[in-house]
Amino acid sequence: MCGLGWAPCTEDPGGGGGPGGAVREGRPAVGRWGPGFAAPQAVPSEEFPQPTMADEIDFTTGDAGASSTYPMQCSALRKNGFVVLKGRPCKIVEMSTSKTGKHGHAKVHLVGIDIFTGKKYEDICPSTHNMDVPNIKRNDYQLICIQDGYLSLLTETGEVREDLKLPEGELGKEIEGKYNAGEDVQVSVMCAMSEEYAVAIKPCK
Amino acid sequence: MMAAALGPPEVIAQLENAAKVLMAPPSMVNTEQRQHAEHIFLSFRKSKSPFAVCKHILETSKVDYVLFQAATAIMEAVVREWILLEKGIIESLRTFLLNYVLQRPHLQKYVREQILLAVAVIVKRGSLDKSIDCKSIFHEVSQLISSGNPTVQTLACSILTALLSEFSSSSKTSNIGLSMEFHGNCKRVFQEEDLRQIFLLTVQVLQEFSQREHLSAQMSSVFQRYLALANHVLSWNFLPPNLGRHYIAMFESSQNVLLKPTESWREALLNSKVMELFFTVHRKIREDSDMAQDSLQCLAQLASLHGPVFPDEGAQVDYLSHFIEGLLGTINGIEIEDSEAVGISSIISNLITVFPRNVLTAIPRELFSSFVNCLTHLTCSFGRSAALEEVLDKDDMVYMEAYDRLLESWLTLVQDDKHFHKGFFTQHAVQVFNSYIQCHLAAPDGTRNLTANGVASREEEEISELQEDDRDQFSDQLASVGMLGRIAAEHCIPLLTSLLEERVTRLHGQLQRQQQQLLASPASGSADSKTLDDLYEDIHWLILVTGYLLADDTQGETPLIPPEIMEYSIKHSSEVDINTTLQILGSPGEKASSIPGYNRTDSVIRLLSAVLRVSEVESRAIRAHLTHLLSPQMGKDIVWFLKRWAKTYLLVDEKLYDQISVPFSTAFGADTEGSQWIVGYLLEKVLNNLSVCSSEQGLADDTVQLLVTLVERRERANLVIQCENWWNLAKQFASRSPPLNFLSSPVQRTLMKALVLGGFAHMDTETKQQYWTEVLQPLQQRFLRVINQENFPQTCQQEEVKQEITATLEALCGIAEATQVDNVAILFNFLMDFLTNCIGLMEVYKNTPETVNLIIEVFVEVAHKQICYLGESKAMNLYEACLTLLQVYSKNNLGRQRIDVTAEEEQYQDLLLIMELLTNLLSKEFIDFSDTDEVFRGQEPGPAASRSVSAADVVLYGVNLILPLMSQDLLKAREERNVNVETMRA
Repeated sequence: MCGLGWAPCTEDPGGGGGPGGAVREGRPAVGRWGPGFAAPQAVPSEEFPQPTMADEIDFTTGDAGASSTYPMQCSALRKNGFVVLKGRPCKIVEMSTSKTGKHGHAKVHLVGIDIFTGKKYEDICPSTHNMDVPNIKRNDYQLICIQDGYLSLLTETGEVREDLKLPEGELGKEIEGKYNAGEDVQVSVMCAMSEEYAVAIKPCK
Repeated sequence: MMAAALGPPEVIAQLENAAKVLMAPPSMVNTEQRQHAEHIFLSFRKSKSPFAVCKHILETSKVDYVLFQAATAIMEAVVREWILLEKGIIESLRTFLLNYVLQRPHLQKYVREQILLAVAVIVKRGSLDKSIDCKSIFHEVSQLISSGNPTVQTLACSILTALLSEFSSSSKTSNIGLSMEFHGNCKRVFQEEDLRQIFLLTVQVLQEFSQREHLSAQMSSVFQRYLALANHVLSWNFLPPNLGRHYIAMFESSQNVLLKPTESWREALLNSKVMELFFTVHRKIREDSDMAQDSLQCLAQLASLHGPVFPDEGAQVDYLSHFIEGLLGTINGIEIEDSEAVGISSIISNLITVFPRNVLTAIPRELFSSFVNCLTHLTCSFGRSAALEEVLDKDDMVYMEAYDRLLESWLTLVQDDKHFHKGFFTQHAVQVFNSYIQCHLAAPDGTRNLTANGVASREEEEISELQEDDRDQFSDQLASVGMLGRIAAEHCIPLLTSLLEERVTRLHGQLQRQQQQLLASPASGSADSKTLDDLYEDIHWLILVTGYLLADDTQGETPLIPPEIMEYSIKHSSEVDINTTLQILGSPGEKASSIPGYNRTDSVIRLLSAVLRVSEVESRAIRAHLTHLLSPQMGKDIVWFLKRWAKTYLLVDEKLYDQISVPFSTAFGADTEGSQWIVGYLLEKVLNNLSVCSSEQGLADDTVQLLVTLVERRERANLVIQCENWWNLAKQFASRSPPLNFLSSPVQRTLMKALVLGGFAHMDTETKQQYWTEVLQPLQQRFLRVINQENFPQTCQQEEVKQEITATLEALCGIAEATQVDNVAILFNFLMDFLTNCIGLMEVYKNTPETVNLIIEVFVEVAHKQICYLGESKAMNLYEACLTLLQVYSKNNLGRQRIDVTAEEEQYQDLLLIMELLTNLLSKEFIDFSDTDEVFRGQEPGPAASRSVSAADVVLYGVNLILPLMSQDLLKAREERNVNVETMRA
């Protein structure tokens, strides 16, 4: 079965989380200590009701209903972790705090790099603020073929995905080269906030 | 070769052309031409016996660069062909070069210096085989000096400077292909005789100049050069005899050189005229900041005179008296220039550090007390100027540096109670202490942020986390001031108490008013942040000083109550009412002055209680939801102080003291209500802070450090675990619910560490069982529940699962950090179970680098903290686990290529961690406390199998496993390489 139009990440593109997503449960009331700093939460959108496809399609990963992001207090973020900056999933490459005046309260400066495009984003916010953190998933697939600039990948459950582009740049050339040389390779695919890209390869065992 | 093949004119033409190419702008010549030109010079310098050609060049060529190269060629060739050359030729070469320079006063500076360097090298090379008569050069130089012609005198100075720098060091001189021992010997010979000659010549020049009424600009520049030369001589690092090669290098790299000449210098330096000359010189030129620097440095060097130059103690006393007289005569009654501050402070600090106490006390009493008065006056005045510098935000903090030095001198001075009678320094200490406090308090009590004309300036600046906390940045100052405060405890402790108590009352009032305002009109912002900020800053400094006054910061040792404080408390204990004292201590919510009989309390305890009152106001403000008005910095100060205090005073061990103050032992002794109460109070503070301040990393950090202090010693831990709050904390943390799970990961780790340490307190078996059930078991259960789920490989990427795993791994790191020699057996066994499971996790999370890194980090921590205690078989278990980890890692990563958006070095964090792990394992080879599984006795199944594996074997095997993973790119990352080398070396 080839899942045409199959969305590996079930979130709607608007970034709205599934209603009552499991991740949210048991989370603290957001912005508890700083009423002025309530985090912009992803609100379940009325316009994009969660599709009921969950019953029809055989999901390999049990992430139905999981939201694409979850909130976290700014101070609890860590370098090399992930955060959403300007609506993009980023890896935190720099995190520093400062304060205004010796007796001021801490502010956090974040520098993140878009995990897909490599673009740099920055943000400053009070450390009591909540930030969105993207849910990141990674999967390894076996490469079957390359066609029209798209990868054909074999999932663990034996399905074939053909919706992922051959990445540009070095890695893309590498994949193509290995494929043309007839080597068996596995492609690591990273998924965050309804975007998905190949990010690494390694030889099959 | 070249010189032989071509006649001199051709050589010159060739060299001049090459020089043209080298000097040409980059656009005119290509790299090849440039390299060719360089090659010409290099081979010219290597040519055999180039002396005739060089002389010819020097006499005819007009190109400076060629002249420079000719001088270099002579220098190199002389050294190279030394043994083949006739002494006469060398002698004539030297004379030629010297005359050459003399006859051409308008040579380019760099050419002249190079020629003089060649002369110096010849003199140095000749000095050992006595073939060159050094005396003649001094004769010539002294003739030049007496010529009275400034240009010639300048040249003479250059010659002496060149000689001096050539002989001064064994490692930094020109490379003449001789051994370090040769350089050392040259230096020793030189410093005995010739250096003194130079000094005398210099003194002679200075003498002459200082007597002149008027100096022309040109003369004054000559004067300056000789002054610099004198400084050079007096800063000579006299090489002691019989110093080994390694020590010579170490010796010469020392920054702060004190003047310790050989005996032969006695006459030259102990002559009081010499010392007076330098004071006179300074008085003459003190307004010229450049020259003053040199003259003060000369004086500072003279102030550090010691060693065999003094025949006996009497000579030392004479010298010191003379010096102090000269010093006081120079600085008393003048207004000190900014440029003088550092110099003067070094003079004083050298006098105090170098001269022994018995010499200091042997000088006339009057003189000594004027000296100490002068020191007090200077310290206070530099302190005020330093505060001004801070307000003006100057780049060059000269007064701050001078102040630091003087405070340090005080520390050396007052720490000796053998030579000075008790109370000798008390009045001085009071003055310095008062002025420090005054500079750090806001008006009206103090002068903080006031500029010279009394205008307050205050700016809200952005402060980054990299900026050090005041308590670290000014730790030296605070340590000195704290020490002075102890000396004058009678004055300082009550002063701090009243300043603090007054500010607590004001802070309370101010917060209350702001709360009222907020209630009345919630929308209005905080109106008066200035008043609050001023209060916070005052309290900040008062707490810091109190902390440094009451206790020392020790690492590893058991800190003791400072004897001055103990004596002070004992001295007054008869006038003290113990019950009122306890009441003052136990009621931080009330104003101290509202308690009847508050004046008959122990002053030290009352000072502590003043800080507790600050803490209480803070806690109440938090409860009233005024956290946004509070200062996180003050919060940090409070827990920092409490930690420092608790380490020293809480549950005092009476065995460590000859005498103990009754109020102390009643209030904080073992088995007292007071200590139980205070432990409860501190614990509550910790809990409060952690639940509201997760967003203030620094505060949370200091708070968990206080918690660790409370439980790291068994006696205190025993009290802690009796508090209900402790159990609440443990439960709350184990449940991973807010607010504790908001804390940053280092804080969570330390919290886990504290919880584990607390578990080793004394409790009955049942309680212990219960405790571990609350603390460690949930960790294990939750972890096993997650990883044993059937669909774990599918759910592992779900966020809540990942978070659960991350939290567990963080906690494991914390547990490893809690390792002590007496709990390693339990903790190791506990952690080993996890390590095995972690290897499984490596497989599951092979695609999630942040989790992989964390797993490796757990291994790094366990190896770091525990390997040194492990006996053979346990160490073997750990080695095996680590190697399995590496195998899995290597299998999953071999041949992997990744694109990662982060910087190179971070991309390889996993490999860095692995190298760290291997380094930690390797440390077993040199730090090993294990006593054949002593701590595990009774748990061993039997004698370990006969295989004996050393840590080095394991590490080599490990390196072998991961070497294929290191790409070339990786090796370019510098950081990596360093760790790498470190590992390989061992």
